[in-house]
Amino acid sequence: MTDLRQRVPGVEPLRLALDAVDYLADTGLATALYCAVGLAQPLLLEGEAGVGKTEAAKALAQVLDTRLVRLQCYEGIDAAEALYEWNYPRQLLGIRLAEAGGAALRDEDLFGEAYLIERPLLAALRHPGPRPAVLLVDEVDRADDEFEAFLLELLGEATVTIPELGTVRAAHPPLVILTSNRTRDLHDALKRRCLYHWIDYPSLERAVAIVRRRVPGSTRPLVEQAARAVARLRALDLQKPPGIAETINWVAALELLGVETLDAAAAERTLGSILKYREDQELAASTGLAALVGD
Amino acid sequence: MTEGADLAALAGHFGARLRGAGIAVTPERAGTFARAVLLTEAATLPELYWCARVTLVSRLEEVAAFDTAFWAVFGGRADPVGERGDPNAPALPPPATAPRATAANGAPVPPAGPAGGARHGLDWTGQQPGSGRAVAVPGLASDEERLASRDFAELDREQLARLRGAMSALLRATPTRLSRRTRRHRRGSHLDLRATLRRSRRSGADPVRRLRRRRRPRPRRLILLLDISGSMEPYAQAYLQLLHCAARTSRAEGFTFATRLTRLTRLLRSATPAAALERAGRAAPDWSGGTRIGPALQAFLDRYGRRGLAHGAVVLVVSDGWERGDPALVGAQMARLARLAHRVVWVNPRKAAEGFQPLAGGMAAALPYCDALVSGHSLEAMAEVARALAPDCAAGPAPGP
Repeated sequence: MTDLRQRVPGVEPLRLALDAVDYLADTGLATALYCAVGLAQPLLLEGEAGVGKTEAAKALAQVLDTRLVRLQCYEGIDAAEALYEWNYPRQLLGIRLAEAGGAALRDEDLFGEAYLIERPLLAALRHPGPRPAVLLVDEVDRADDEFEAFLLELLGEATVTIPELGTVRAAHPPLVILTSNRTRDLHDALKRRCLYHWIDYPSLERAVAIVRRRVPGSTRPLVEQAARAVARLRALDLQKPPGIAETINWVAALELLGVETLDAAAAERTLGSILKYREDQELAASTGLAALVGD
Repeated sequence: MTEGADLAALAGHFGARLRGAGIAVTPERAGTFARAVLLTEAATLPELYWCARVTLVSRLEEVAAFDTAFWAVFGGRADPVGERGDPNAPALPPPATAPRATAANGAPVPPAGPAGGARHGLDWTGQQPGSGRAVAVPGLASDEERLASRDFAELDREQLARLRGAMSALLRATPTRLSRRTRRHRRGSHLDLRATLRRSRRSGADPVRRLRRRRRPRPRRLILLLDISGSMEPYAQAYLQLLHCAARTSRAEGFTFATRLTRLTRLLRSATPAAALERAGRAAPDWSGGTRIGPALQAFLDRYGRRGLAHGAVVLVVSDGWERGDPALVGAQMARLARLAHRVVWVNPRKAAEGFQPLAGGMAAALPYCDALVSGHSLEAMAEVARALAPDCAAGPAPGP
């Protein structure tokens, strides 16, 4: 913990450190991350798709110079996929080999390290240090209630019991970051234990700065034009307003095509990298692409 | 500010204030807030703001109430929220309150005449086999039997409450889909290595019998979109009760709308239906106001449906289709909904009336995108709703395509 505090002595130093690894956070997010590290409490990040929830966890791991363990949640995920699994084919093979070689085989031989498949949660708990791993539980709302309860228990105790091996206690309990797209309400018990932060769309200047970091070689006027156009697009009544991830893709596409100034023709060619619904594209076209990309 | 005793008192008082504003702040959370202030050595108001928000708020909907309470207690107008977002762009509508603006030509349009509303989708004539014959409702006492055929509009609250048991029995079956979880099955598609190996201990570590698993069917999510405008009021009570029954047995989500959309699922998890109904009434302030179906559907799809709530779900829309706004918007949003959902069933109590034709503007626009249109005006008719929701599960000819 002291090591962590030395690395990030405050909110502002953390923000600058994130900046140095090309993640531009605002004060709100930096405070949330700093509290998550300092208070050793899980942090629940919510926000529209493409505002950089997952990237925040990656950047934090980079700043703390530690391992990032990512658990992507999906419907029906269970302990065998999240925690650990025995390598059954290998165990069978082990039995056969022992028989063929006439060797004596004990239970412990089959249920040992060599036959254990480590899944993300176990990996995060067994991370040797010196600093705790960053455990990213991505899109936790996709998993079901039962898994949420299981996760809660595991995170609270930072221990897990494997019947054949015994109890694993985390030497360095992982720093947990959960993200959610709000497809369903998370359980209050989980929310109560977490710090919470809603990541908003970045301001125009911040968006320009982020895109310029992410797309090396992009020229400032082009990025500014694109960011302004995206801000105007968001004001339209779109089904999926473009996030910062789409802006980055858009500028990268424009760069690839050798576009130097964004005009209606260039926007029309590359509209597919920023608007992913036909209705949205039609709405943008009927609003007038020239007006959207103009200065 | 960072002195222990004062900070504790401050955190406690502020927590109490937030509780008054409807944000559930436990003493534990207030303690976390105090620790965060100490940790970050918050000295300026924005720093304090973020410390408090990160630790005391746990959902986006609470942010507005939190902001009000925070600035009321700590004063000053240096609102850091104002610094976020793009100052050049017009403000996004606050997600928790009003639905998005109507279509550009949002002027009210008179209900369309007998236009060719039903084209490719549902044809309202004669698509309801057995809509005239009595439908058997399981497990009714004689008194309830008498109530079962009465129109919901004629029942008082107490009589409605007596029909609860029958209502929960109706919603046993929504269509199923294959989940990602598996269970042991004799003719499963993949091998259960764990169980096979365990079984092999009985036969000297020889895996003689192969055990298999297959994916387990799960009921699809049921989503109820309930019109609570004035014309629908008697039915709204009945369907809220149905939703309450469903929310306790299966995965169901409920929304009400008249002029704005309100999510009710959390409220309906409470113990008694009467309490749940009362809370739902308080949460939806436009109870018995006018109707704006199109914007409500749009708000539902933008905020919840698109993110995954409506994917593969069974959607039940309860409304008489009297749209005050533009029916074209209803049509466009219903098309979106039909693309997302597994099945869309529209319940219109007016359908029970003699000589009903789906000519109300919103209804005519929505009809091509519905899998079934049923009346659902009484408990017996509700059995028909259950059949329309799960045509494969119920006996008899399936309504709709």
